[in-house]
Amino acid sequence: MSDPIGLALIILAMPLVAALIAVLLSGTSLRTLANLPLIVACGGGAILAFTLLGKVADASTAQFVSDNITWFAAGHLRVSFTITVDPLSAFMLAMVTFIAMWIAIFSSGYMHGDKGYPRFFILMSLFVFSMCGLVLANNFLLLVAFWEGVGLCSYLLVGYYYSKPSAAAAARKAFLITRIGDTGLILGIFLLWRMGGWHTDLTALFDHIAKNPPDQGMLTTACLLLFCGAVGKSAQFPLYVWLPDAMEGPTPVSALIHAATMVTAGVYLIARCAPLFALCPDAQITIAWIGGISAILAGFLAIGQHDLKRVLAYSTVSQLGYMFLALGTLGAINPVFAVTAAMFHLLTHAFFKALLFLSAGSVMHAMGGVIDMRRFGGLRKRMPITHITFLCGAGALAAIPLLSGFWSKDLIFEALSEASESASPFTAGYYILLTVAFLTAFLTAFYTFRAYFLTFWGPERLPAEAGDHAHESPGVMTVPLMVLSLGALFLGAAVEPFNHLFSGFLERTPSLQLAATLAHSSTIAQHFNWTIAGIGTVLVLAGLGMAFAMYRQGGPEKLPWALEPVFQASESKLYVDDVYEAAIVKPATGLAFLARVFDGFLDGLARLISAIPRLLGQWLRPMQNGLVQFYALSMALGLAVFLSFVLFRVAR
Amino acid sequence: MDLSTFSPIQLVGGQIAIIALLAIIGFLLLLPRPQARWVTLGTASLIAAVSGLGAWLYTTFGKPMPDLIGTVLFGFFSVGALGFGSVLVTQRNPARGAIAFAFVILSTCGLFLLLAAPFLMAATVIIYAGAIIVTFLFVLMLSQNDGPSDENDRSREPRLGALAGFAFTGLVLFSLYLGSPIPASADTSKAPAASLRKQLLPVVVLNTEEKALLQTALVSLDSAGEQLSGDLTKDRDSRIEYFTRIKNTLAEVVGEPVQFEPTSAKTAVSRSGSVLSRLVRLRQELNADLELYRQDHQARAVVTQAVKLQELNAATYRKLETNLLDANPNSDLARAEVAGLREEVLLLMGMGELPASNVSNLGYQLYTEYLLAVELAGALLLVASLGAVAIARRKGVPS
Amino acid sequence: MISLWHYLAVAAALFGIGLVGFLTRRNLITMFLCAEMMLQAVAINFAAFARFHGNLQGQVFVMFLIAVAACEAGLALALFLMLYRRGKSLDSSDWQTLRELGVPPAIDTQSFPAPAPVEPDPVLSPAGARPALSTEEAARV
Repeated sequence: MSDPIGLALIILAMPLVAALIAVLLSGTSLRTLANLPLIVACGGGAILAFTLLGKVADASTAQFVSDNITWFAAGHLRVSFTITVDPLSAFMLAMVTFIAMWIAIFSSGYMHGDKGYPRFFILMSLFVFSMCGLVLANNFLLLVAFWEGVGLCSYLLVGYYYSKPSAAAAARKAFLITRIGDTGLILGIFLLWRMGGWHTDLTALFDHIAKNPPDQGMLTTACLLLFCGAVGKSAQFPLYVWLPDAMEGPTPVSALIHAATMVTAGVYLIARCAPLFALCPDAQITIAWIGGISAILAGFLAIGQHDLKRVLAYSTVSQLGYMFLALGTLGAINPVFAVTAAMFHLLTHAFFKALLFLSAGSVMHAMGGVIDMRRFGGLRKRMPITHITFLCGAGALAAIPLLSGFWSKDLIFEALSEASESASPFTAGYYILLTVAFLTAFLTAFYTFRAYFLTFWGPERLPAEAGDHAHESPGVMTVPLMVLSLGALFLGAAVEPFNHLFSGFLERTPSLQLAATLAHSSTIAQHFNWTIAGIGTVLVLAGLGMAFAMYRQGGPEKLPWALEPVFQASESKLYVDDVYEAAIVKPATGLAFLARVFDGFLDGLARLISAIPRLLGQWLRPMQNGLVQFYALSMALGLAVFLSFVLFRVAR
Repeated sequence: MDLSTFSPIQLVGGQIAIIALLAIIGFLLLLPRPQARWVTLGTASLIAAVSGLGAWLYTTFGKPMPDLIGTVLFGFFSVGALGFGSVLVTQRNPARGAIAFAFVILSTCGLFLLLAAPFLMAATVIIYAGAIIVTFLFVLMLSQNDGPSDENDRSREPRLGALAGFAFTGLVLFSLYLGSPIPASADTSKAPAASLRKQLLPVVVLNTEEKALLQTALVSLDSAGEQLSGDLTKDRDSRIEYFTRIKNTLAEVVGEPVQFEPTSAKTAVSRSGSVLSRLVRLRQELNADLELYRQDHQARAVVTQAVKLQELNAATYRKLETNLLDANPNSDLARAEVAGLREEVLLLMGMGELPASNVSNLGYQLYTEYLLAVELAGALLLVASLGAVAIARRKGVPS
Repeated sequence: MISLWHYLAVAAALFGIGLVGFLTRRNLITMFLCAEMMLQAVAINFAAFARFHGNLQGQVFVMFLIAVAACEAGLALALFLMLYRRGKSLDSSDWQTLRELGVPPAIDTQSFPAPAPVEPDPVLSPAGARPALSTEEAARV
């Protein structure tokens, strides 16, 4: 199969087939092999996706669109089942399948012996399938379908331990909060459909809007509604609250959600719709502000958490905030550069965040399910491999110079500084946001290494639950860790700063080119800005040093009195959940009570009306006497009456 | 009572009501019930009903009756079908009912024959005879009870049932009357277009006068051999006059070909023979129902054949004339011409009628136009037989 | 001259008779035969239309009608057999259990007249024995 579209369809189909095979295996004695289909599908998918990358890079046209197959049509609405392969989607596809493969291998060890073993892998397969479909979709409604598929799978996986009330609540929270964003997404799509010449195909819609630019206010509304969906999915302020709670799912699920599949969907959506956002400076600065607020808020919240996975969860929100910061500069500077910065950070983040989560999972596995950093410490000796891999991930996340995270974060800083010096009307805002980004870099380094020191340094402490298996995890779990740490260490340096491989590949994307044309921004020569890199490095090292100074001896945590209130505020999540509770949930409950009373009134009315046919039925019931011939007789008599009615009207 | 105060439609309605009432009374007296039945009176009532139906049909639809044998056969088979049908319904003993049903089938097969459907006749006899034998066996096997039984000697709602059945029949007869050309022709106040619309099903394409003319021409053509024998150089005028007569007879029906004149459209109608002009007029008056008219295969076939004959008639006459006026007339050639013309006249006479030997055509239609339907029917039969086996299998029945 | 209307009228009458039989007779097999008779009436209609339209579509329809009737016959007989095995009767009124709750069942009220008394067969005495005579006969002898 040399056709890129065919290749993409095979990649898309493989996880689905894997899910079906796993379903078939689940009922048999082979249920312990249910992990194999997913591993094979993701592995094969990754290999094919890399082939696809090569094909797209070599092809003369950078975009392939599948044939138009009409999915359904009604009036103006014609929805076709089309997929597209361009550098952007090919890159995402490769990233998703590659990361998912290692997570799948890790999970085969991590989930071993769980009674829902096949169910876990079925859901994981569907999760990967939905994400691949989302990435490939060239039609807004198709995209929404897969988007909801991702949401559904995340719901099922977060609530994997469904007998645990907190897991069920977390799953519900994740689903409902992303739903708020999804509503915005759907409304935005309707608006775009209305404005974009009744097209739902992405490419056709972009072309139409590029040729006939609609009203600026309407377009900005539509873009903000789309961004609303992205905020929900990518856990940005103010809808980020579901992500830390989503830690209730098994750790590999967290890794998959944070690294490859779910939260990156929002970033991808904005990157995909770059031509639309390039036309709306207001939407851009909104994205940038939301990203900046999320970045620093989540960074602040991360420093006070005791749960290792929660620290990582807030760090994800913070890093996604970075990506949105980069996307927010989309019109102010060359959109290609902005999107490249965001996607590059997405790529490196996928590696080091998957690595960190899997390492945390390894720790949790060894500690018998305990993940509270106050209850263990000094694991350096017992878990040497996990220690090293976690260190690699933490270094990359903290953006220690020359590691992956450093290069990608540096691109974002550069994008922001370019934006603050551009012709955009919001240069002051971009300048503030650059400061925010630097501050967040400091916080990131601090909380990352706080978690690292608390877990691995100091005297060894083990919780009682760990029992006798407080030792290094088996090979099936450590090998993925090692592979991913190689990515976290070197990938960033390998693909971008010296050879511009990544940006060169991505800039051929037609939609990005279109965005660049629409934004009228000059191409900027990419250069390494020593000042920015220097400031970033200094802040990172400061954060690292502060963490070293405070936590060198490991836990338990002893805080200087000055920092106590800060940590207190951070630990209680800045009371955001409480504010939501008081401001939204309580009034909603009251409203629900009122609605219930009103509903009772309506029900009474409905019952009253329904009593009429019931009485009528009571009266006609004896007609149903069970005699077949009586039924036939009624039919014949009725026919005769009807016929006579018709005939005598005609004859008269 | 003065019947002329009623409109024809009311009169017909009354007639039908009387027939239906007689039938209802007959069946009420004859249907099985625990008490004794009034067999003689019931039978008489039924006979009266059937005779009434026959009389009604004769007076309403059947005035021209040139085809005596056909009419008698039709009466025989219909009375057979209705009579044995009544026996089936009123007979207590189901075995005798089955035999009556076999006779109903035979009678309808007779009707099929009259309707130029020999293959249907054969198929119905074979299939229903087989089915009837099987049913008959079942009856013998299952109903071996002595004395009166609920299922054979009681009826469910005889009054309402008979009323429903014959009210339905009466209404259908009434609608037949309303749909036929008769009420329209009786009611002159209605527009002629409406009467023509009523005639559409079926369009009377060749009326009796035209058929008689064609018959005359055919007879003359048959004896044309005499005119073409002997020394053709003598009596040329009388011979030519003979063929002129034939030509004129035919032209009365199909008309003469139009010469190339500027006012062709109008002249075509006026010069055409009766069939074509009638059909053309029909078409003009029925502008709205043109589609319906076009779908009448019989009318279309007749028109096509009439046009063909129109050309051929003139051409043959011209050829015969030149041949006979020639120095050495060619007898064989003239005979061939006459034979050709005769063939076409015969075809026009039969055109639009379903030929009696249509079995191969039926097969052709079934396996070309209706192949999918045939396959589906076959699949249905297979499934039904499998289903019958599955249902009748002895399983889970408490012994 | 027999016209289309004659055939349609006869078919309508045949259909009506079949309908009456189907509605009133209670023997399942008789009901089935009546239904087949109604089908025959329809077949006559089709054949008549074919004849008077001058094409074969009507006859083709009758072919399919025969096929459907054959299916029906097979299935109906299988069902009757099963019902007979269950209820030992072919009375269609035996199966009225699908009526609404609380609706009383339809029960036949009219009873059959008492069967006519059957003259008992004469019993002959064994060969060689003198038959026992009634008093009347004895008086006559």
